[in-house]
Amino acid sequence: MNTTLDIEPTDYHITRSPDGPVLEIKDFNLWYGQAQALFDCNLDIQKGMVTALIGPSGCGKSTMLRCLNRMNDLVDDLRIDGRILADGFDIYGPGVDVIALRKRMGMVFQKPNPFAMSIYDNISYPLRVDGVTRKSVLDETVERALRSAALWDEAKDRLQESALGLSGGQQQRLCIARAVASDPEVLLMDEPCSALDPIATAKIESLITDLRGQYSIVIVTHSMSQAARVSDNTAFMYLGRIIEYGETETIFTRPHKSRTNDYVTGRFG
Amino acid sequence: MTTSTDHDIPASGGAGLAGIAARESVRGGRRVRRFSADISAVGEPGLWALGGALALGIILIAGFLAFIAWNGIATFWPKPIEQVELRDGDVLAGVVRRGGTYRVGADVLPRLSDEQRAEIEGDLGFANRTLYQTANYDLYGDDFRWVSEFEVANVTRPADFHYFERQTWGVFIGRVAGLTIDGEARAFDPALMEREQAAARDRFHDIRQLEQRDIGRINHQIERERLNQRRAVLRQGEEAAAPTVAASQARIAELQAEFQILQTRVNEIRENDRRYRVQMEEVGGRTVDTELSQIVRYFAANQLSLLDKIGIYFSRWWEFVSAEPREANTQGGVLPAIFGTVAMTLLMVVFVAPFGVITALYLREYAKQGRLTSIVRISVNNLAGVPSIVYGVFGLGFFAYTMGGTIDQLFYPENLPNPTFGKGGILWASLTLALLTVPVVIVASEEALAAVPRSMREGSLACGASKWQTIRYVVLPKALPGIMTGMILAMARGAGEVAPLMLVGVVKLAPALPIDTFFPFIHLDRSFMHLGFHIFDVGFQSRNSEAGKPMVFVTTLLLLALIVAMNATAIIIRNRLKRRYATGQF
Repeated sequence: MNTTLDIEPTDYHITRSPDGPVLEIKDFNLWYGQAQALFDCNLDIQKGMVTALIGPSGCGKSTMLRCLNRMNDLVDDLRIDGRILADGFDIYGPGVDVIALRKRMGMVFQKPNPFAMSIYDNISYPLRVDGVTRKSVLDETVERALRSAALWDEAKDRLQESALGLSGGQQQRLCIARAVASDPEVLLMDEPCSALDPIATAKIESLITDLRGQYSIVIVTHSMSQAARVSDNTAFMYLGRIIEYGETETIFTRPHKSRTNDYVTGRFG
Repeated sequence: MTTSTDHDIPASGGAGLAGIAARESVRGGRRVRRFSADISAVGEPGLWALGGALALGIILIAGFLAFIAWNGIATFWPKPIEQVELRDGDVLAGVVRRGGTYRVGADVLPRLSDEQRAEIEGDLGFANRTLYQTANYDLYGDDFRWVSEFEVANVTRPADFHYFERQTWGVFIGRVAGLTIDGEARAFDPALMEREQAAARDRFHDIRQLEQRDIGRINHQIERERLNQRRAVLRQGEEAAAPTVAASQARIAELQAEFQILQTRVNEIRENDRRYRVQMEEVGGRTVDTELSQIVRYFAANQLSLLDKIGIYFSRWWEFVSAEPREANTQGGVLPAIFGTVAMTLLMVVFVAPFGVITALYLREYAKQGRLTSIVRISVNNLAGVPSIVYGVFGLGFFAYTMGGTIDQLFYPENLPNPTFGKGGILWASLTLALLTVPVVIVASEEALAAVPRSMREGSLACGASKWQTIRYVVLPKALPGIMTGMILAMARGAGEVAPLMLVGVVKLAPALPIDTFFPFIHLDRSFMHLGFHIFDVGFQSRNSEAGKPMVFVTTLLLLALIVAMNATAIIIRNRLKRRYATGQF
């Protein structure tokens, strides 16, 4: 690859939220052992907006996303440099309570991963691990979460049944409900539709649109049309670098960088 | 390689059509049969080999089970008594055990008649023979006798021969010569005998109950008083303990008085019991006079209807599973052994489950995966291959002598030098077996934990759960069926293990069960009986292995049934756990 092109600074032309950024990634580098996976990343996640991360496979989108709630802590041999600020606090700073941090960041994964419990227990799980035992609080939360995930009508009569009995799309909405149950500030979605059929995908997408404003959403996606449909801002990543970060419409219609243009027009990736 | 997989396709069913189509088109297009070229490319022979190996394995297992089952099931069926008159004038009566062919020895031939010799020579020097259970050990000094076919003059089945199963001295085969009822000689009358034998058995059970339960309780209390005295002396010194000792002595005197009363009663019943007797006459005419209460079961073997036979069959089975053994374990039941096997296996599970699961959890979830963890893991796997007798030696040396000895010194000093825990017992046996089976549980649990998808753990962590909460609420429930599989394997292995047990607590005949009505009710220090050891003891350690042989099969059958029952229970529990949530993905 042409390396001279890659060290150019990120092209910034995003829509800014009136409330400012909820997460600020500053000069972030990351290494898996000897291999560097992220290079000098700078990114502001705007409050109440949907931010999409796109790019070819292996470009570091998921790694970037998993740094936001420190899921990468599970990986051995991981080294980072730089800061990620949430409300001005460095989440990688000393003395940060990772568990408290994760409670502020709901996460939805690529494949639906409901626990082997009832629907009710799945959704109340974040509260129960937090020590909430009052039935009224749990009931209320389960209903609210299921309603915001557009699953209430389908699931209200079978709350005590196993979550594994739901269809794939329902399972993924259940995971979204679980992610919003603890009322997080940010919702991280790692290719939430990649294991779903088009109808289920459409439901999730409309759900994301509904949740916009209520939560700040970061979504990693392989589907450019999905990014175009649901997001306000889009970051294009390539080989561990953020090449361009801007208003979604501009990224997909008049990208500032030729590489972005190549990607969104399907010339590579 | 791609072509070879193509050829395998037709054999695997569903995709067959595609394979056939490919074959046709190639054949039609080029008119060349490339398929026969290389036998390794065709899956068929391999498939046949696999199927054959499987069939062979199944036949071996099924044959083994059928053999055990047939011999075990047939054992208790009552068989007729044959009276055999020999050519030399000797007469014997017995039950046919088995037959066989043998080469007649050169020293025997000269003693036979010409006719017999000609017969044997016609069979190329071989002759048939039959093993009879002649019983009457007290008269003959042997239970069995081989009879060659050429010796036999005549075989009959006299109707009045009876088969007596006695409390001691084993079986008696013969006629009833007479009865003594309440000291009065009476002629044999089946109805009278049946009534009186039942009454005599009741007396026998009364005596046993008095001796074992009531007198046993008093002995137990006296022993406790004696230990109390010693404890008081050891703790407080000779002088300070004097009042306690005196009180205790008084109590012992009371108990001994009570003991005397009971003993008198036992003697009375026994005295009375001696007045009810039966005179049995063996085929040669010698009689044996014994108490009716000594006869456990008797029947006229040649007069039985099918219904009678079925009744005897089930009565023997019932005795087998519900009574204590008699006659050096070759007769009677195996209840203590069943109890010991089940109790020990369950106790083993209680020890092995937490230990194995916790070890697996640490190894898989917490330990840093490095060289040291690998070494630990390899060592654990290798532990599964250590001969079980080595565990027995370790159990005896470490558990019984070291740990048990220390416990005795600390908590049971009054009993020394008699060991309480410092010898083999059910506790140490279970711990030894737990040690023996823990590798199985660790390996299975680790696999089960590793099989929990990473996505589930991540989902839980992303919800803000701590690592322990994730393990407790998500990982463990998901891994539980797999862990249960490990437990089932461990149970199957543990229940069938005998060698180490012989060193750490299994005995030929245990005086008492590990659970009884005396405080503290569960006596983990006691030695116990075990079906596996029972098989070994009956078959190979008794005075007459021929007598024990049928019991070997029955006990084996029972042991297999017991293990199957325990495993089936565990499997049902596991499947329930599995079903609780798994209703299929997608």
